[in-house]
Amino acid sequence: MTQPLIDLVNISKSFDGDIVLDDLNLSVKENSFVTLLGPSGCGKTTTLRIIGGFISPDQGKVIFGGEDITKMPPNKRQLNTVFQKYALFTHMSIADNIAFGLKIKGKSKGYIQDKIKYALKLVNLDGFENRSVDSLSGGQQQRIAIARAIVNEPKLLLLDEPLGALDLKLRQDMQYELIRLKNELGITFVYVTHDQEEALTMSDTIVVMNQGYIQQMGTPEQIYNEPENAFVADFIGESNIVDGIMVRDELVEIFGEKFVCVDKGFGNLTPVDVVIRPEDIDLVEPEAGTLKGIVTHLIFKGVHYEMEVTTPGGYEWLVHSTDMFPVGKEVGIHVDPFDIQIMNKPASEDEEAVGVNE
Amino acid sequence: MKTAHSRFKEFFENFYLVLVLIFLYAPIAVMMVLSFNSSKSRSQWGGFTFQWYSQMFESSAIMDALYNTLLIAFLSALIATILGTAAAIGVNSMKKLPKTVFMGLNNIPMLNSDIVTGISLMLMFIAFGVSLGFKTILLAHITFNVPYVMLSVLPKLKQTSKYTYEAAMDLGAGPVEAFFRVVFPDILPGVLSGFLMAFTMSLDDFIITHFTRGAGINTLSTLIYSEVRRGIKPSMYALSTVIFVTVLLLLLITNFSPDKAGTKSSPSKGVQTASAGSKNSGIRQKILLTAASFFIIAAVSYTSWRHVASSHSDELYVYNWGEYIDESVIEQFTEETGIHVTYDLFETNEEMYPVVEAGAVQYDVICPSDYMIQKMAENLLLAEINLDNIPNLKYIDPEYMEQSKSFDPQNKYSVPYTWGTVGIIYNTKRIEELGVPAPTKWEDLWDERYRGEILMQDSVRDAFMVALKVLGCSMNSVDPKELSKARDLLLTQKPLVQAYVVDQVRDKMLSGEAAVGVIYSGELLYLQEEAESLNLDYELEYVIPEEGTNIWIDSWVIPYNARNKENAEKWINFLCRPDIAKKNFEYITYATPNQGAFELLDKEYQENTSVFPDTSTLTNSEVYQYLGTEADDLYSALWKEIKSH
Amino acid sequence: MNKSKNQFLAFPYIIWMIGFTVIPLLMIFFYGLTDRSGNFTFTNVLAILSADHMKALLLSLALSTVSTLVCLLIAYPLALILRKRNIGTGSFVVFIFILPMWMNFLLRTMAWQTLLEKNGVINSLLSVLHLPPISIINTPGAIILGMVYNFLPFMVLPIYNVLAKIDDNVINAARDLGAGSFQTITKILLPLSVPGIISGVTMVFVPALTTFVISNLLGGSKILLIGNVIEQEFTKGSNWNLGAGLSMVLMVFILISMTMIAKYDKNGEGTAF
Repeated sequence: MTQPLIDLVNISKSFDGDIVLDDLNLSVKENSFVTLLGPSGCGKTTTLRIIGGFISPDQGKVIFGGEDITKMPPNKRQLNTVFQKYALFTHMSIADNIAFGLKIKGKSKGYIQDKIKYALKLVNLDGFENRSVDSLSGGQQQRIAIARAIVNEPKLLLLDEPLGALDLKLRQDMQYELIRLKNELGITFVYVTHDQEEALTMSDTIVVMNQGYIQQMGTPEQIYNEPENAFVADFIGESNIVDGIMVRDELVEIFGEKFVCVDKGFGNLTPVDVVIRPEDIDLVEPEAGTLKGIVTHLIFKGVHYEMEVTTPGGYEWLVHSTDMFPVGKEVGIHVDPFDIQIMNKPASEDEEAVGVNE
Repeated sequence: MKTAHSRFKEFFENFYLVLVLIFLYAPIAVMMVLSFNSSKSRSQWGGFTFQWYSQMFESSAIMDALYNTLLIAFLSALIATILGTAAAIGVNSMKKLPKTVFMGLNNIPMLNSDIVTGISLMLMFIAFGVSLGFKTILLAHITFNVPYVMLSVLPKLKQTSKYTYEAAMDLGAGPVEAFFRVVFPDILPGVLSGFLMAFTMSLDDFIITHFTRGAGINTLSTLIYSEVRRGIKPSMYALSTVIFVTVLLLLLITNFSPDKAGTKSSPSKGVQTASAGSKNSGIRQKILLTAASFFIIAAVSYTSWRHVASSHSDELYVYNWGEYIDESVIEQFTEETGIHVTYDLFETNEEMYPVVEAGAVQYDVICPSDYMIQKMAENLLLAEINLDNIPNLKYIDPEYMEQSKSFDPQNKYSVPYTWGTVGIIYNTKRIEELGVPAPTKWEDLWDERYRGEILMQDSVRDAFMVALKVLGCSMNSVDPKELSKARDLLLTQKPLVQAYVVDQVRDKMLSGEAAVGVIYSGELLYLQEEAESLNLDYELEYVIPEEGTNIWIDSWVIPYNARNKENAEKWINFLCRPDIAKKNFEYITYATPNQGAFELLDKEYQENTSVFPDTSTLTNSEVYQYLGTEADDLYSALWKEIKSH
Repeated sequence: MNKSKNQFLAFPYIIWMIGFTVIPLLMIFFYGLTDRSGNFTFTNVLAILSADHMKALLLSLALSTVSTLVCLLIAYPLALILRKRNIGTGSFVVFIFILPMWMNFLLRTMAWQTLLEKNGVINSLLSVLHLPPISIINTPGAIILGMVYNFLPFMVLPIYNVLAKIDDNVINAARDLGAGSFQTITKILLPLSVPGIISGVTMVFVPALTTFVISNLLGGSKILLIGNVIEQEFTKGSNWNLGAGLSMVLMVFILISMTMIAKYDKNGEGTAF
């Protein structure tokens, strides 16, 4: 059941001498929801377009269901794409848009009619058959774009930032909608976005990409809680990333104070990056904390308060807490050992660049 | 990783692109080559030369036309841009219905055929008594330019967010300031491309200019059109080459500036692409602005120079056939008399007539042909010439004054300038190849063996003259029966005819395109000299057909509305001076009726019976007479039947 | 923006249009509907029905239709290739096609004479290659060639502009849904570029229908088009009333093209420049 549906093997691609993908390997299991996540220019869309067949890789192979489809034109591939900004055919009615793929395959009229009905129902737009594309809202157009893709019963659905053009509320609704569709249809989804929240909400696997490399691949929980490098930590959620020294296993020194942690195997007295999520910082009485600081900013965010705590040396810690500490108050910082994430420092300048973009 | 299929496709696409580019640019290459051809002929290569380039800069006609063309293009584009941009902003704020009406009207000059636009404007200018000239061309060009400006500004305007304007107002800018600082920069690319488009359309226009231009003003298009009939001077090719190369260089500089590298789009480089693009267009704008200001400075200085050069109190407006005077004669006239001459050209009598009749342009002295002089006199368009002011009339051979009486019975309206016959010119080698004896009579032009080898005159009267003479009728016949017979005869001849042409007979005979042609005797000397200089392996001979032919006389007349009648008489007297008449003859090679000049000519010319035939042999020949409106309409209707058959 | 105030910016041009578009057209109607002595008549308009004029009109219609179709056939694939190549910037493509216009239109057409003549450049080349000569000068074929040559840019540019505006992803979507290259063109690109096609067709058809210069220069004046008839009435026949009457008939075709544009190109997408 969990066969790899699609395998990207040693894919490289460059445009006009700029390397966009460098020796990329990626395997997507059947019936999974994989999200390619990263800042713009990280190569995620290029990867998607290589799977879709709209661009061919300079090197490497695309294996789909065990078959090499690297040179197969997009119209022969058993997968469909939902495009950024929908790419609906404005000169056709909604029904004609949805029927496009089926007509090309030469399906019978009755079959096509049934399929249109079914697909419109699936995306909650029953009765929209004869409307024109221009008369639809962005969200509705998006649903049509999805309907147009899924009536072809693809094994794999590629989604290229499909929710990028929608407003926040609609985006959240559509996220649930997509999850529902995925579950109802049982199709494999490969989803591209730069929105980490979207990625965390919907996927079962997240692939974080930057500058043509895969930075980390894993479940949302793994990506969030155990980022493998500073880039992932910074890109996924908000983080305090500070310099630290691994004194020995399970003990790290930050700003001269020692914190107990759970990480091992970094060696003794090794410089490391330490990641602490804002919500993992407990503010306590000054004496009870490992570090002392002064609250310098305070904003009420609804669910929690967002505060900045400046510690001696000038570092401003970002803290999320349901307890409020007024500006100017001296507080203590406490972090539980399992909330401290230790990462190796990047080895070279190059790797640094990989980590610090955007 | 390109498959063979996609490589083949790419090759095919490249091949197709190249093919289209060849199609587009082949004629231009031909012109460029011709600009270096030392022979005047379009189809004979006479060796490499730069002479046309130097001639081009020396020819005041060409430089004036160039100046007019550029000035009109620039001014009309500028005014159209201002008018069009303002209108685009205005129409953008209109409600739907007025907007639709407005855009409909706006589209008219663009969608309407040029000929209708040109004619409608001409009719209006004439109806409102606006004299045709520089300003009418300018007004016409602005009219057809505005729609192009609107077309390129409106889309930009639609893209512009109205909030930026409001934001600027909010930040304290006044409406005007807000517009120029915020909205205008946004639509500037559209405005600029509209300007460029308008400039190009104005530059390339011929038809509308043709109908709205007046005395003494030529643009390159109209100058070229007047030359098309007489054979284009290679200096025109030289000029076009210069213009083309200049524009090409400007384009290459603006399009391939050093920061080109970033303009190819790649997904990862979206941001850089945008910035490089805007930098690029910034450079283009700068170059455009520099070019524009350079042009304005050049134009202003040239205008003021021209103004100084032409600030004469004494003026004379001359209306003459194209290439029908030695230009140095005009200069000499101005030098000797201090009268400044505005010299204008027409190609046919019929084209000249309505211009004079409408009085839209006031000429002082005109050179029409015989029958047209009669028509003008009958319609009271001519003033009597005070012959006392023309003492040199004594040099004109009395025989021609006698001949002139057929159209000017009392010799009071006209003074003969040139005369000649119409005959057949033939290519000795070509008729030998066709196995036809040399033609001696008009009827020979119906010989089947000449199929596709005959050049007929593209003029009603000349074509009918040939047919009427074959039928043994008078060339001044108004008898519908005779005329229908003549029509039928011409219809049977049409399949044999290669083309109906006017002055292109010269070029086509020289290049061996045709075996025989109907030609005016005046073209002969030029042809024979040119044939000699090209070392052709054939000779061009002229024969006056046995049936008799048309003797034509072109004479100077003074129109009724001449403002400088005395100057006109001075002009006529000047041209009657033997040395001047000789100079003119040697340039235009049309026989002169001036006895004094004839005596000054080389013996070789005097004895050339093609040019100066013994008038006693022309027994069956006649001079054209004006036949009246009704007959004119009949001729023109019959001619249309022949042409449309 | 202050809508009502901005409207006044259009006023100068409205006055201009009345003065230089509307009144001149009324003049044509005035001349077209009167005879030489100024009496009202329909003869000038009905003159189109006479055999010669009808023949000239039909021939003009035939030649301009053929040249419009040829232009379309050449221009569409060209625009597709240009779109695909995305050569430099859009303005560069425009320049390539506008550039020849800086060489005078009459000279360019004359140059074709030089190319096509019996002893012209093309035939000289053919004879060097031992190929039979072509003889299309002074035939309708030469006129069509001249029309195609002169008006091709007006077909390429609007089509290219419309095609260039189509989102790449729309084409990708069609491919993605199983359409091959040919189906993508017929089902997606062609319908979407209708505004450009209509505007190109109009911009080629109208001038081709009414030209008199091309038929004179390349047709050896043996072929009389409706443009020649009108031009001759004004410059040679001096029957302006008849000329104006026939011009009114031509305006019918202009009305048709305006309606077509209004119907298919509502947003002005198919504009050339």
